Amino acid sequence: MQMERKNSPASASPSQVINIDIDPDADPPTSPPITNPSPTGDSKACRGGTCDLSYTKDSHERYASMRKLIIAVVLCVIFMTVEVIGGIKANSLAILTDAAHLLSDVAAFMISLFSLWAAGWEATPRQSYGFFRIEILGALVSIQMIWLLAGILVYEAIVRLIHDNGEVKGFLMFAVSAFGLVVNIVMAVLLGHDHGHGHGHGHGHEHGHGHSHEHRHSHGHEHGHGHGHEHRHGHGHEHGHSHSDEHGHTHGHEHEHGHGHDHDHGQGHDANTVTTYFHHNHHHDKDVKEPLIKNGNKKSKRNINVHSAYLHVLGDSIQSIGVMIGGAIIWYKPEWKILDLICTLIFSVIVLFTTIKMLRNILEVLMESTPREIDATQLEKGLCTMDGVVAVHELHIWAITVGKVLLACHVTIAPDADADVILDQVIGYIKRDFNISHVTIQIERQ
Amino acid sequence: MQERKDASFSYKFPDGDRRLAFSRQPSFRQWEPHLSSPSPSSSTNPLMHRSHSFKPYLARSDSTVSVPFLEKSEKKDSTWIVLMLAAVRGVANGSRPMKRLALMISLNVAYSMIELLIGLFTGRVGLVSDAFHLTFGCGILTFSLFAMGVSRRKPDETYTYGYKRLEVLSAFTNSLFLLFLSFSLAVEALHAFMQDESEHKHYLIVSAVTNLLVNLLGVWFFRSYARVNIVYWKPEDMNYHSVCLHVLADSIRSAGLILASWLLTLGVENAEVLCLGIVSVTVFMLVLPLFKATGSILLQIAPSNIHPSAFNKCSRQIAALEEVFEVQARFWELVPGYCIGSVSVQVKNGVNEERILQHVNGLYNDLGIQDLTVQIDYR
Repeated sequence: MQMERKNSPASASPSQVINIDIDPDADPPTSPPITNPSPTGDSKACRGGTCDLSYTKDSHERYASMRKLIIAVVLCVIFMTVEVIGGIKANSLAILTDAAHLLSDVAAFMISLFSLWAAGWEATPRQSYGFFRIEILGALVSIQMIWLLAGILVYEAIVRLIHDNGEVKGFLMFAVSAFGLVVNIVMAVLLGHDHGHGHGHGHGHEHGHGHSHEHRHSHGHEHGHGHGHEHRHGHGHEHGHSHSDEHGHTHGHEHEHGHGHDHDHGQGHDANTVTTYFHHNHHHDKDVKEPLIKNGNKKSKRNINVHSAYLHVLGDSIQSIGVMIGGAIIWYKPEWKILDLICTLIFSVIVLFTTIKMLRNILEVLMESTPREIDATQLEKGLCTMDGVVAVHELHIWAITVGKVLLACHVTIAPDADADVILDQVIGYIKRDFNISHVTIQIERQ
Repeated sequence: MQERKDASFSYKFPDGDRRLAFSRQPSFRQWEPHLSSPSPSSSTNPLMHRSHSFKPYLARSDSTVSVPFLEKSEKKDSTWIVLMLAAVRGVANGSRPMKRLALMISLNVAYSMIELLIGLFTGRVGLVSDAFHLTFGCGILTFSLFAMGVSRRKPDETYTYGYKRLEVLSAFTNSLFLLFLSFSLAVEALHAFMQDESEHKHYLIVSAVTNLLVNLLGVWFFRSYARVNIVYWKPEDMNYHSVCLHVLADSIRSAGLILASWLLTLGVENAEVLCLGIVSVTVFMLVLPLFKATGSILLQIAPSNIHPSAFNKCSRQIAALEEVFEVQARFWELVPGYCIGSVSVQVKNGVNEERILQHVNGLYNDLGIQDLTVQIDYR
């Protein structure tokens, strides 16, 4: 709820000039309507309570994600109708079951789409923090569906085992799941790649195909502001090569990558781009060398909902592979049915593992815990070392959604200190070093 | 309505006193139950303790960061393992609902194992599917149990607000599962409608009856929560409510299956479709209020038990002070009954902040909101 004051550079330390915070007054005319109009424009508080909680800067990214998801949904529906028609014609239950799986994919996409759309709603007095949590809940629902589907697949494998009266044709299973795999790979590519249909984003991340790695970025940062973000990479995939993300902000906090990034303020990620993967020969040439500064250092990050849809599709393709192997086994040697079951079980477990990291993130956000990238001890120490500050207590740091962090604490100051100056210093310090911009500090005198 | 004093408040609703659940109690009393509830465990959760005397600011002088760690290490994985072990220990000396829930879960698990094995060996698909369904349900109930055990931990560095949210989360997961259940029942009804195969219902009678009995036992354990709309006073309320709804929904489903096969023997056509459809709709309606309530807490919606006009009134009263220019307040609920707020007040330069802090705190304390952070900006 606090924005950088316009007249603050005088009291701020020199390192603050690097900060590229943009004042809300300078926003493009797409500013959201304010719910609590303030009498004057110059204020520390957010106007309408939405300042950074609004998505004006991010709506671009959001529309990009929504577009991707809509394309995926359309594709899915087309494939599904093809399968349904084929299944009815061939009178095969297996094809219809696969069509039902595609239907579940569509449902997952719908959930993600809805979450993306709902996250952009304006904050209301009842929902004073905005609707960003809906993304997290939508992702939770998606992941639960993945688990449910994995369970259903295991159940189907057991049913196949029981109904060993030859009505299961290995070849048909193989063919259908191969088709499903192709469909899923197409959608994984679609959801995973940031094709940048002329968005002018300076993203240059690339992914390998299939499921060789994943990296997740938090979405929802306004690139003009310094927000906290987290990068978490990979689930169970090797990610020796997984990203060339760019950060244009100063960070005072640590990221959880196993790969070094250089955080230059917005120049080149040339250092990063060399880590792109030659072994996967698709290459998103265009954006890599684009001047990033002009876009305000937009990060290439994955929205959590697009990512959960991606996980869904990934899980489906992994399971398709499992079913393919099972079908091949049954086709080749129908008496080795038990292998089919074992195979399905193994692949289901793999799918569940891919979701664990994301589930952990979701859980942490929902439990209002301190986000991983923020070191609370360091923050507190830093605050205590400021002159005038006697003690810090009731420190709470929590995230609304993966990228947005809030902080609330009580600061006890010496009886003769100037509350205003200390407030500025504290807010500036937190913003500068930890990129938390929604800060509420209660100053108490000893 | 003011007879709801501390002494009568245990972690269970007193059985006969149904007034409590339907009435909207003035919320400024809300925090009292936390004080006096025998809160069956070792933890004296500082979050939930408030002194009676008027204190303008929160009384804690320790930083939350300096609370000594309970776990040995920082890493997430081992924390969860330690938590699991603690939960197992906790069930043994846990509260009565926890023990009952653990009993029910073990009954269900045993039952579903037996069913699975029988189904596998005799080749009956219906039994296997039932076993799977039960196992899923058990998994969710285990998560609820886990939440009950873990939620009593004290807040530590990463979880500065404590672990009480986990109960709300588990209630949400439960209600989500029940929603999925109702959808799948609807799909099953559709399936039966299109395919007309009803012969597999006969040998499921035994399993349905057993299922019904086990679930009715569970409903009996949690009978004070067997209601659709409950006003939640404590976080455990939500969890218990969700567990109760879970077993209730399961028993309704079993009853529906029994009814369907009975009607089939009577020769009623499409009995299955009818029964499954009714069960699906019933479960959906049962679960929806819980889903909305837990969802609104998780979404950080302003607390529902305090009327928005009360908030407006407080804002206006603060803004009515002559040196105050602007007030902005945000509130959210950590768990039912515990409200947290962030208030930002803009005042004239040079005003003594003590007075304003006291005023603001006093106003919101009357509403029952204890955890406030008030930021005073000088202009």
